[in-house]
Amino acid sequence: MEITETAEGSKTVAVLDGRLDTATAAQTETALLALLAKGGVIADLANVRYVSSAGLRVLLKAVKQAKAAGASFSVVGLQPPVREVFEISGFDKIIPAFATRAEAAAA
Amino acid sequence: MLRTSLACTGFGWEDANPLAKPSFQRPSFHRRLPATLDSVEELMDALEAYAEKAEIDMAVAARLNLVAEEIAANVAMHAAGATYFALDVTPREQALDLVLEDDGPEYDPLARDEVDTEADLEERDIGGLGVHLVRKLTQDARYERIGDTNRLSCSLALPD
Repeated sequence: MEITETAEGSKTVAVLDGRLDTATAAQTETALLALLAKGGVIADLANVRYVSSAGLRVLLKAVKQAKAAGASFSVVGLQPPVREVFEISGFDKIIPAFATRAEAAAA
Repeated sequence: MLRTSLACTGFGWEDANPLAKPSFQRPSFHRRLPATLDSVEELMDALEAYAEKAEIDMAVAARLNLVAEEIAANVAMHAAGATYFALDVTPREQALDLVLEDDGPEYDPLARDEVDTEADLEERDIGGLGVHLVRKLTQDARYERIGDTNRLSCSLALPD
């Protein structure tokens, strides 16, 4: 998993590239939680073709930490297989998802 | 003489018989790996390469990876004493047949309770989500205990 940091409006964008699965969960969690300590985060998943339950666990942790800190956490760029996993697991109802970074930043 | 004939057939098996191309036969897949988390990653890499070679639709390839990972990672992390997990993928006309085996203690993942996907954020418990995904993304999932082996079989539909 490659994670690049950039910005959109007042929020940090974490651009994820790779599989979000058992092998990459710990690394991704560390990176996202560190970014959330500084404020709102948008996770751009456009280059993530695959998320497993281990990856969902990371995103759940991120959204919970954001809520506790009064910050925002959202995802953008969901690929069809990732969207499918979100919908089946009910994550589409607990993690705000947007089509673009600009929409996520404005939310 | 041998050298010459080899040179004429090219390097890949697909070049050896160009007439076989129009009726593309999806290859099958088999891996048996030690029951470790490193092996789970190796399996994911191998499946991605397989999906490309077998020309498997992106959505189905993602489901294949997911089912394999959920089951293999569960064995690697929780099955005390398991030494291996194995995955066989056999393509049929309209589906991929999957068989996952391991030699851990008897465990039927399909016997788990359904997860509450309607629960809100605070109550959301992640346990069982992997099995939930496997159930929802596959057809005909069934579990058998055969001697010292757990066997989970299921199918993934292929698009027309």
